Amino acid sequence: MSRSRWAVIAWRLAILLVFLAAWQYLTGIKAISRTPGLYWIDPFFISRPSAIAERFLYLASDRVRLTIWQMALSTVQSTLWGFLVGVSTGFAAGLLLGRHDRVALVLEPYIVAFNSLPRIALVPLITMVFGFGLLAKIVLAWTIVFFIVFFNTFQGARSVDADLVHSARFLGASERQIATSVIVPSTLAWTFASLTPSISFALIGVVVGEFIGGESGGGLGYLIVQSLGTLNAADMMVALLVLGAIGITMALGIKQIEARLLRWRPEYQKRP
Amino acid sequence: MTSARVRIAIRDLSKTYAAGPREVPAVSRVSFDIHEGEFVAIVGPSGCGKSTVLNMIGALIPPSEGEILVDGRRVGGAPPAGVGYVFQKDTVFPWRTVERNIALGLEYRGVPAAARAARVREAIALAGLEGFEEAYPATLSGGMRQRVALMRSLVVDPEVLLMDEPFGALDTHTKLGLHAELLSLWAARRQTVVFVTHDLSEAITLADRIVVMTRRPGRVKMLYDVKLPRPRDVIRLRESAEYLREYGEVWHALGEEFEGGA
Repeated sequence: MSRSRWAVIAWRLAILLVFLAAWQYLTGIKAISRTPGLYWIDPFFISRPSAIAERFLYLASDRVRLTIWQMALSTVQSTLWGFLVGVSTGFAAGLLLGRHDRVALVLEPYIVAFNSLPRIALVPLITMVFGFGLLAKIVLAWTIVFFIVFFNTFQGARSVDADLVHSARFLGASERQIATSVIVPSTLAWTFASLTPSISFALIGVVVGEFIGGESGGGLGYLIVQSLGTLNAADMMVALLVLGAIGITMALGIKQIEARLLRWRPEYQKRP
Repeated sequence: MTSARVRIAIRDLSKTYAAGPREVPAVSRVSFDIHEGEFVAIVGPSGCGKSTVLNMIGALIPPSEGEILVDGRRVGGAPPAGVGYVFQKDTVFPWRTVERNIALGLEYRGVPAAARAARVREAIALAGLEGFEEAYPATLSGGMRQRVALMRSLVVDPEVLLMDEPFGALDTHTKLGLHAELLSLWAARRQTVVFVTHDLSEAITLADRIVVMTRRPGRVKMLYDVKLPRPRDVIRLRESAEYLREYGEVWHALGEEFEGGA
């Protein structure tokens, strides 16, 4: 790594340390006396790094019934399931409608209507139908991911280069071979581009599902609403930190997969 | 060449496009024959319908009137069997490596993997693409991509090759290199080639016969036999007196069409 790259990393670390130190220090200054509650900046609302670390260690230990790891696992599992089901059904529907104009024309108003419905508003209904468990969270994530992938795939399936199809036909391809060797790969390029936003939105869907889902659904969203009930800012911060880490890891993982699948694209090519 | 069998017969071919309420004639009553093993170039000012004629031979668009017979069979619907097509536009599949692009036609025909690999290797060697087998098109120059497209069409051994300004987007030097390659590949197999271009020097360098078309609506203005001996050296040819004489004659006919146009 070059010198300037190290300098960038050093600056980032410095900013983080200053931020944490200021947070820790400012939430420790009393306004008037040692009377509890009278702080310049009250740790009751935003907690303190030391308290968060303490709660993290506690929630990670086996002294609690549901550890932070179990909750994180539940959130990750539902997100991945919602993502997988959403991507595969969104791709299939996008490909089908993208290649069949009549069907697309007939279904268009329903798709637009359903997509303009705020998905959050569906949470109570989904919970009623699918119960307070893993399934409801997955279904919620699916309703979001499906449309992201669907619209991208639909667009991709419609913009398949006609001359590529002609070339294949001249090379002796059957209609079936044209579908598998031209239409699907050229559509997939568009589908792949929707994977990164999809995983982020799947996570959003799952956390919202967990807000309502209660303990049986588990998950970090449950920890957040539970902390709201007990007015425990430190626990809430622990949940947010872990969620952040999950979000970043998943996005980076998808980026890696995308770069691998789209390695033929100019932006992923290292020129020889 | 008149002794050879007629491979492609074009009879009273017309094409009219609908442009809103108006009908725009693009090609008007074109008739000529292309013989087996002949290299025919179609030249004309842009918009004269030369690509339209080629697309009708390849059954990409249906004629409005007249007909085309390839080996006596009327063209229509699907592309005629044994016909290859090289587009001007880059139609190499970007998600396939060079060797998998060249293998496409063989895959479609269900050629077994071992035989396929051998024929692809041969094609790659012929086109001088060794070392780029595993490369994706995005890493290749325009000339190399067009070479891949050419080999992809040739590897399935078409009897007729239709080429729509395949080198139109390339610089002069790359173009000359590809002319030399095309001529040597053609000399080995003697496919029937129909080559559309707006570049007269390209037509003279490559073809046995040149079809000069008028400006829109395109008709056949002249059928010109290129009297240059083969094999031709694409570079030295251009300095020869014969070449200049041929060029002058066709240029005169073509020039009349340009003058009257835009």
